[in-house]
Amino acid sequence: METEMRNLRKEISEKLKDETLRDALGRFSEAYPIARAKAYENAGDIETLRDALRQMKIDTVERIEEVADRFEAEATKRGVKVFRAKTGNDVKEYLVNLCKEKGVKRIVKSKSMASEEIDLSKHLETAGISTTETDLGEWIVALAGQKPSHMVMPAIHLSRFQVAEYFSKELKTVIPPDIAFMVQAARTELREKFLQADMGISGANFGIAENGAIGIVTNEGNARMVTTLPRIHVVIIGYEKLIPTIKDAATILKVLPRSATAQLMTSYMTMIAGPTPAMVKRDGKWVEEEKEMHIILLDNGRLKAAHDDKFKEIFQCVRCASCLNVCPVYTLIGGHVYGGHTYAGGIGAILTAFLSGMGEFEQFQELCIGCRRCTTVCPGKIDIPGLIEELRIRNVKEKGLPFLLKQTFENVVSNRKLFHGLLRLAAIGQKPFQSGRLIRHLPLFLAGMAKDRSLPAIADTPLRNRIGKITKKIDKPDKRIVFFSGCTIDFVFPETGESVFKVLQDLNMEVLFPEGQSCCGKPVIALGDVETTKKLAKENIRALEEQNPDVIIVACPTCTESLQQYAELLKDDPEWGPKAETMAKKVREFCSFVAEEYGKRGRLTKTGGGPKVTYHDSCHMKRVLMIDKEPRQLLEAAGCELIEMKDADKCCGMSGIFGVKYAELSMPILEQKINNIRDTGAEIAACACSGCMVQIQGGLDKQLPGVRMKHVADILAEKIKE
Amino acid sequence: MEITHEIWKRHFPAENSGAHLFPEFEMRAKAVSGEVFRVPAAAEAREALIRLVDAVQARKAVVVESPLQEAAGITAALRSRGVTVYTEAADIAAHADTADIGISGVEFGIAETGSVFQDGYDIATRLVTILPPLHVVFLQSAHIVPGITEAFDIISQSFDRGYVGFITGPSRTADIERVLTIGVHGPSRFAIIAVDEEPKGGDA
Repeated sequence: METEMRNLRKEISEKLKDETLRDALGRFSEAYPIARAKAYENAGDIETLRDALRQMKIDTVERIEEVADRFEAEATKRGVKVFRAKTGNDVKEYLVNLCKEKGVKRIVKSKSMASEEIDLSKHLETAGISTTETDLGEWIVALAGQKPSHMVMPAIHLSRFQVAEYFSKELKTVIPPDIAFMVQAARTELREKFLQADMGISGANFGIAENGAIGIVTNEGNARMVTTLPRIHVVIIGYEKLIPTIKDAATILKVLPRSATAQLMTSYMTMIAGPTPAMVKRDGKWVEEEKEMHIILLDNGRLKAAHDDKFKEIFQCVRCASCLNVCPVYTLIGGHVYGGHTYAGGIGAILTAFLSGMGEFEQFQELCIGCRRCTTVCPGKIDIPGLIEELRIRNVKEKGLPFLLKQTFENVVSNRKLFHGLLRLAAIGQKPFQSGRLIRHLPLFLAGMAKDRSLPAIADTPLRNRIGKITKKIDKPDKRIVFFSGCTIDFVFPETGESVFKVLQDLNMEVLFPEGQSCCGKPVIALGDVETTKKLAKENIRALEEQNPDVIIVACPTCTESLQQYAELLKDDPEWGPKAETMAKKVREFCSFVAEEYGKRGRLTKTGGGPKVTYHDSCHMKRVLMIDKEPRQLLEAAGCELIEMKDADKCCGMSGIFGVKYAELSMPILEQKINNIRDTGAEIAACACSGCMVQIQGGLDKQLPGVRMKHVADILAEKIKE
Repeated sequence: MEITHEIWKRHFPAENSGAHLFPEFEMRAKAVSGEVFRVPAAAEAREALIRLVDAVQARKAVVVESPLQEAAGITAALRSRGVTVYTEAADIAAHADTADIGISGVEFGIAETGSVFQDGYDIATRLVTILPPLHVVFLQSAHIVPGITEAFDIISQSFDRGYVGFITGPSRTADIERVLTIGVHGPSRFAIIAVDEEPKGGDA
């Protein structure tokens, strides 16, 4: 498919100015988590339900052909005509022929994302067949000549005033912007369409192999009309919707309405197995006839995903859109920008790659900031950010990196001496001029000052040059520790590095800092460059392991994760694979390690008397390393009065290169964080991630100068007497 | 072919189901704007329906019979109130769109969600449930299962082919500014008349 080049920055800046959208999404993102939690109150253990759905879907995709064959056979046995469509064009051709053959002039449609995906309505209209969307949101979006911006709430981006305009134009009368009135107007207008239609086209939320049934959940009742009134019913269903048994539908229905709309059940849940009677007017008299039913089973890239070891995971998606509802980026700009042709958000990026192609994926995939919030709500437990990263890697393998980035990674970042040399030069270069030539080409410190955030200064003396001064001689150390600082602590926050030394040495541990350590590779792998990442991994393994440490301490969750992932990265390398694995076992995140050691020494108790502190959970700390209690325990052990902020675990908007490249988008996310910090009245904002420190410190400096940003290590170090 | 309506009761669980779940069912159904009227027997069921008919000043009704309705003499009672009643499929097809009220029987309720389960294989049933602005269903109060899972234990054994589903409150939408609005394509009112007494002959 040809892809038009998008100007994402321009689109973003337009959407950020769209007050209607900002307001609607802002209110929704506030309300959704609360409503969802309430809907699950009487559902039993939510993790058990998610696991059950995930497992059922995994078992299905493993034998998708067999399930599809059974579905087809059972539906056929009950009188349905089943057609397997390889592409969207196959669907269109089949339908146009069917309409010709049966004299179909008017079609009513209930919601089907699969038909959106292949632009079905437009095609049918072109073929001279009147096609009406009957889901209210879909109808509005169709009248507006737009695409849905959300899978469940297609018209969430529009205000009642905009809707009234579209209605007035369509109904050729003045429609006031009164919601109840507009809904009635739609009912009246669409009721006629239902009664006159010759064919109903519906989607399906699931298809049951056991008896060839399809299941549909709706609230408006339009799907019941579409499947009841016209004499022909055509279902368009993707392979990913198939499930083996009738009981498996319960597994979906336990979670789908709760996750999608925070309802315990939608108004209508309908299952249809085989044609049922319809009333048809013959010679002015109503007579009962058996309906004609067709099921179109759509592939369009799905089976390729089903047979892909990683991407078969997309079969776990039930299209509830809960991932969008908690996404910090989606809830700012909506699905028209953060989305492809049909599907929005992170899951949309992945679906787009398979259903519309990599060209389209490439154009908006960067908007996934990898904060992993979606993974905590997805009922099918899909690793959305992980799959996006995998797609980036494949894309780079296929097409290579953009030239400048390639030069930077291959020639600069992977050459430690040059990379560090440039960082040092940057320290000189940034004053007295804010000169960018060198800085600009570095991944973490891309130039571009934003008005709401100060960018960090490169420290005069990096941590690596302070080691001699801060290293204490420990006679009989409890452990021999190697500290992996990561670039940010080394070059931006060397004082935090000093704090790490102080805390560990206070625990009677020997701390070493191998000079040969380099960038952990995260900014590089995040853009899909596996080869440079491998080079960096080997360099780090060599540097860290030659010190023969008991433990490798990292005070940044992202670097921690990267070091632990070297084993997977190098698994096919006979020499480095085993080394990476041995090393990974020694890697420990600073807070969790210190909390454990403090615990052993009876020092992990609440003391009090200290400052008011609020703690920000870094995305990767909480949702990758699963560490959230320990830093809080440490803060309280250091005497701090801990005050929880709202959405403590929501992304601060930094996310590596994203925070700089899409500064405009990163700023509103940061602003929410700063507001939440302000509301606590805390004097100090603490966190345990150097990336978040860059971002939050920058925001505090400009917007809340009275509050200081500190790493947990800094707060602990302050408590230690010299 | 045996349709669900005829055989589901064979699979209705003897334990962990029944009228003791009714209060939860009622609470959940009301939470989604369903109207629930629980009555001891046929006579009160008839009165409950008549009150609804009077309240909406119904002139025209489309009705699909069920044993509970027959026991309560619903159709006759409507006619005696001057309501025009259609009960044949061809008449229902002609009049459901303009009827004030649709009446049908449902199989069982689900306490977890406040839903009712109905076999809609019969075309007339589907028309009366979806087209008129008020839909009234008759339910046996003891026919309540705890949750979705238990409902599917029954469905999986009794749904081979046909058209079955849950109805949970009236038709609704939140597609404009996420404002909940009742009654878009389907009924704007959904009432459940639940009868404690089993109709004579036993098989509801």
